[in-house]
Amino acid sequence: MKKIALILSMIMLVCGSAYADKKKKLNEDTDMFRYDIEYCKTASDGMVMVKVWSYSKRSDLAMAQSRKNAVHGVIFRGYTGTTAASSQRALVSDPTIESVKADFFTAFFGEDGPYMRYVSTIMDGSAEVRKVGKEYKVGVVVTVNKDMLRKHLEEAGIVRGLGSGF
Amino acid sequence: MKRLFLVALFAIITMSAFAQAKKPTIMVVPSDAWCKSKGYVTEVDNMGTTVYTPDYVAALQNDFDLLNVISKLNDLMNDRGFPLQNLESVIRDITTTSAELSLVEGKSGGSVAESMYDQVRNRARADIIMQVTWDVVTVGPKKSVRYTLQGLDSYTNKQIAGANGTGEPSHQVDIAVMLQEAVMANMDSFVGRLQEHFDDMFANGREVSYLIRVSDIWGEDLESDFDGYALSEIIDDWFYDNTEGHRYSVADQSETQMTLNQVRIPIYDERGRANDANRFIRNFVRYLRAEPYLIDNIKVLNQGLGRCVLILGEK
Repeated sequence: MKKIALILSMIMLVCGSAYADKKKKLNEDTDMFRYDIEYCKTASDGMVMVKVWSYSKRSDLAMAQSRKNAVHGVIFRGYTGTTAASSQRALVSDPTIESVKADFFTAFFGEDGPYMRYVSTIMDGSAEVRKVGKEYKVGVVVTVNKDMLRKHLEEAGIVRGLGSGF
Repeated sequence: MKRLFLVALFAIITMSAFAQAKKPTIMVVPSDAWCKSKGYVTEVDNMGTTVYTPDYVAALQNDFDLLNVISKLNDLMNDRGFPLQNLESVIRDITTTSAELSLVEGKSGGSVAESMYDQVRNRARADIIMQVTWDVVTVGPKKSVRYTLQGLDSYTNKQIAGANGTGEPSHQVDIAVMLQEAVMANMDSFVGRLQEHFDDMFANGREVSYLIRVSDIWGEDLESDFDGYALSEIIDDWFYDNTEGHRYSVADQSETQMTLNQVRIPIYDERGRANDANRFIRNFVRYLRAEPYLIDNIKVLNQGLGRCVLILGEK
């Protein structure tokens, strides 16, 4: 009986450690925000579809990061347009705001943080996996609720509303 | 001492709470090119040259696509907390007011006087015009919408925002749907540039312009000496001393006329009130009326938030 309990606790310890390791790896890759973002189309009112290419040594980690990278890209990078749509600038105009408001963004992009509310499910079958050197480059189409995201940032005092000041 | 401090604190809080810059009015209008291509224009023979003037009333009464585009743009701007003036409502208001005024008769039987200037001012205008243009491009069986949106400052005539694009060619036959997609796809970029314009305005002051003219019955002009200086030099000095960051430019100057462009005025006046071209120029008028210049007759014609015409020697 004692032996069984010991084996079970060993298994739990190993699984827990593997899970923590995966999370740690995910966070490390995410913290670096290594990705490319490109515009796909404006889906409906306030919703935009973007394709995010995320990099990681594990393709599943890269795919898991796509939501976070998409929101990060819309906030801080913007993306080039197509013939159908003009280029979209980043929601924040001040490039230093990420470090100035570090507390806000650490919580925002934290594990299951508020950013999750503004990204819809990844479209099935849209993922593209490419091997680049020793790592994977995974492209996923993600829908971002840009209007609601901007309103959240306005309320937090990160970006100014169009009518603010008047 | 404590009471004085509290009173001062209350005054500061009240001022900061109520000091808000005047919100520019924005209106969506179809471009002249679009009106011409659709035939919504009136032709005027100007000494042998045909001049086309957009007929907004005809366009609004006959073109459902235009109504859809204006409605969509109004909705999107409303979502951004910036409701627009509606072209159709503004035109209806002007027509109703003109009709009512034509029926009003005074006690002595005279009608309400409407100068030429009033008639000109009664045109549908806003501080910022969102000028929209589109056409349908057909390639084989497929169609696409080519769409352009421009934000124009009515007073400086500068384009302050813009966005354009050509939609993906499609077998879609409903132009309204394609147009709606084009509007939505280009709106964020347009609003981003508009935001930059407003940010610049808050950082560097509101940009306005002034036209200073001289009445032909005055007997003086801009080259006349006042207290040892030419009047144009006095005007130049005043604007240098009172503009935000000394930013202004004298675009055109003669003995009878002086145009000041890119004049940056503070967003708020010295009492914390929202500033505009008319309010800012009041101090200048007082300055000229006072010793040693004593120019009493100065007529100020207000042409909106961003432009004033001053006529010296006219009351």
